[in-house]
Amino acid sequence: MGASTGRNSPQVTALCVVTGVAVVAVASALAISSTQPAWAVVIVFALLVILAENLGVPLVAGSNISAGFMLLIAAALVFREQSSPLGALLVGMCGGIYYMDIRERDWRRFVFNVANFGFATLAAYGAFLLFPQAALDDVGLLVLASVGAAVAFFLVNDSLVATVVSLAHRRPAREVIRELLSSSLQSYPFALLGVFLGRLYLDLGLVVVPLFVTPILIARQTFASYLALKRSHDDTVRILIGALETKDPYTAGHAERVATFAQYIGLELGFSAKRLERLRFAALMHDVGKLVVPNHLLNKPGRLTKEEFARVQQHEQVSVEILSRIDFLAPVAPSALSEHTRFRPVADTKGQPIEPHIVAVADAFDAMTSTRSYRKALSQATAFLELRENAGKQFHPRVVIALITAIERRDEHYGEGYEPAGHNYATEPPVAGLGSAGLGDLLADEEPDPADAAKP
Amino acid sequence: MRPTIRATVVAVIPAAVIALTAGVGSQSFVLACLGGGILLGELLELRPQGRVVIPLSYAVVLVLLRVASVQEFVVTVAAAELAAAILRDGTGAAARAGCLLRRLVAIGAALGVYSAIIAVGSADANAVMLIALTGAGAAALAADEIMAEIGRWRFDLSSQGRSAQLALITSGLLMAVGYDGLGGRGGMGLWGPALFSVPLLAAWYSFARLAAIRRTYVQTLRALSIVPELGGLVRAGHAERVAAMSAAMGRELGLETRELEYLQAAALLHHLGHVCFDDPEVLGRPVEPTEVAEASAEMLRRAEFLAPAADLLSPDPLPFGGATRSMTSTAGQVLRVSSAFDELSEGGQDRLATGAVEALYSGPGYVYDPRVLAALERVLERARRVNDRVNAAT
Repeated sequence: MGASTGRNSPQVTALCVVTGVAVVAVASALAISSTQPAWAVVIVFALLVILAENLGVPLVAGSNISAGFMLLIAAALVFREQSSPLGALLVGMCGGIYYMDIRERDWRRFVFNVANFGFATLAAYGAFLLFPQAALDDVGLLVLASVGAAVAFFLVNDSLVATVVSLAHRRPAREVIRELLSSSLQSYPFALLGVFLGRLYLDLGLVVVPLFVTPILIARQTFASYLALKRSHDDTVRILIGALETKDPYTAGHAERVATFAQYIGLELGFSAKRLERLRFAALMHDVGKLVVPNHLLNKPGRLTKEEFARVQQHEQVSVEILSRIDFLAPVAPSALSEHTRFRPVADTKGQPIEPHIVAVADAFDAMTSTRSYRKALSQATAFLELRENAGKQFHPRVVIALITAIERRDEHYGEGYEPAGHNYATEPPVAGLGSAGLGDLLADEEPDPADAAKP
Repeated sequence: MRPTIRATVVAVIPAAVIALTAGVGSQSFVLACLGGGILLGELLELRPQGRVVIPLSYAVVLVLLRVASVQEFVVTVAAAELAAAILRDGTGAAARAGCLLRRLVAIGAALGVYSAIIAVGSADANAVMLIALTGAGAAALAADEIMAEIGRWRFDLSSQGRSAQLALITSGLLMAVGYDGLGGRGGMGLWGPALFSVPLLAAWYSFARLAAIRRTYVQTLRALSIVPELGGLVRAGHAERVAAMSAAMGRELGLETRELEYLQAAALLHHLGHVCFDDPEVLGRPVEPTEVAEASAEMLRRAEFLAPAADLLSPDPLPFGGATRSMTSTAGQVLRVSSAFDELSEGGQDRLATGAVEALYSGPGYVYDPRVLAALERVLERARRVNDRVNAAT
């Protein structure tokens, strides 16, 4: 609901000044002409609204507006009972007071938000006027009134915010309104809660306010702890990626990029948010086992002996061991196993998660398009070609198509010529042929190995 | 999710049947709805950390206290709890029966306290009613906690982790008041409890997410802790044992919860830095323990949240006896002592324990805090006594 007045345009400033002046004018007119509100009630609601708006822990999917909105609707109903539009306007104006605006001295934004919420709450008050006072005791009519109040509130709020956002960011107003409408619809349940809170307040007095606000504050506090712990979990995973990158500087950014590509594929395949999150962690951690491989083997520029190769390959088992100890990753732990992620056209494996195949393709694509100790990056076109040729053999065809579609749709480029800032190589890596993700072609030529023979 | 869906079906059917036969306005319809609410509330639980799990059904019980006569109350609760005991999944019959008994005792306590206060009070009906409901909620939660902890004899009366209980009682009160108002005004019928359960459901959602991420976080730390072991750099199980021993010693020394959390993270990851070093043959020299500690601390410091844990790892410039003896340095000492003990006793073997403790006291290289060493001895002594008892029993 709070508008960001991004660019410094004179039209935006003018709009903010006009709304600010208008709200002061309306407030003065009401102060002279209409009933004085009960000032104690104004103060209680004003404090609650300011508190709710500024304890802004984003609740589910960024809807951190709801608690304040609910209180504004409740206030509109309470002042409708007292027939005092001034009270509704004043409490609404308090709903626009954000500590952040004051700290950053963003006065334009401050004035606009105060005016916007004041007028929107006054509109909700107006909607309640459409219902006879006695009718508001009836539960069914109260539900109807909550719809009216929400519509009036958002009509004012959305049109003001849409105007200022489309002016400030030069975006078509229709697009902005569409976004606002969907968030307004999601907020409707809080209007319902708001009218019932208002009703209860009118009947029972102040006692209901702490009963109502306490569980909401506890829920927010708990949610804030959840977000903090989630961040520290992310941090822990990042420690591990940092350690991997210290050991093997060629793979700087590899885990993050594989996670990004895996997300692209997951989105393309229509994964749920929960499944995307799991995929992201599986992709980030797919190489965790490399932590146990000695540095000199990871960075060896030449080919590996059979013993060395075996020692490097051991990392996949270690990765699986580690991932399977984390419950929510356990089902996709085979992501770390190149053996397992090989696509088998016949035995395709109904009921088995597709995540390992996604990580395999994302990993292969990033390995091909970045420079390693053993060869320079290939071009994106070559990498796509290699993926397509092996789709159905080594890689899951649906996953390959999803990755290529996703990257082409985003018009992004990776590989030769598009790499991020160069490395300081101890020895310049050779320009070599194809060798997808695996280390299979690194084995010394003189010793043919079953792993090599299995390579397509 | 499966049991909640089944429970919803079970809860809706009687309410629908009664709505068709006796009508939506009838008392039995209200009772059926509240019974369904209790049944669903049984399967949605608040799980505050380190506290007994609280079912949301206790909030609905407060509404039922206002609505039903004693007989109606008993019948509704018994039916709902019985259905919940049948639909609850994943536990054996004995555990279900135990849980059912605990709920019935807790709800019985609520009924008792509510009736007693209503019978005594008369002056201001509204205040009496609010006090009676608050008392009933508190009685249910207290009885539940006593029944749950009675086998373990560990009652924690502190206020920590009580916010879930506060949320439950305030929501329950609001739902009850929403049903029939105060002093005959402001009642909304079933709309009230239905609407005013929303804040409680938001709290439930937040607690559920918090518990899930906490579990994942600890699992990730543990999974990372075995990396040096899988690489053959450290004795198997070292990190896990040091973490357990550090926690026991930390509690013995009275460290705070937060301090214990950092201690656990530091103990689990104190050898992780080992992976930064190459094979000794390639390096041409052995890897020093101080280097490992430095490297581990450096890794932890990159994570903002774990920076205090990293401080526990960095080598102490002032060993014991320095000017500062803050909690942090105590926790750092605990970690160092328990790690050294695990190495000296070759993985906590009983026959080596005494020698290991002596070696720590007379340690040539480093002077440890005698308070911390005493805590180690107490923890070992306790473990030995438990072991003896187990041996005697078998």
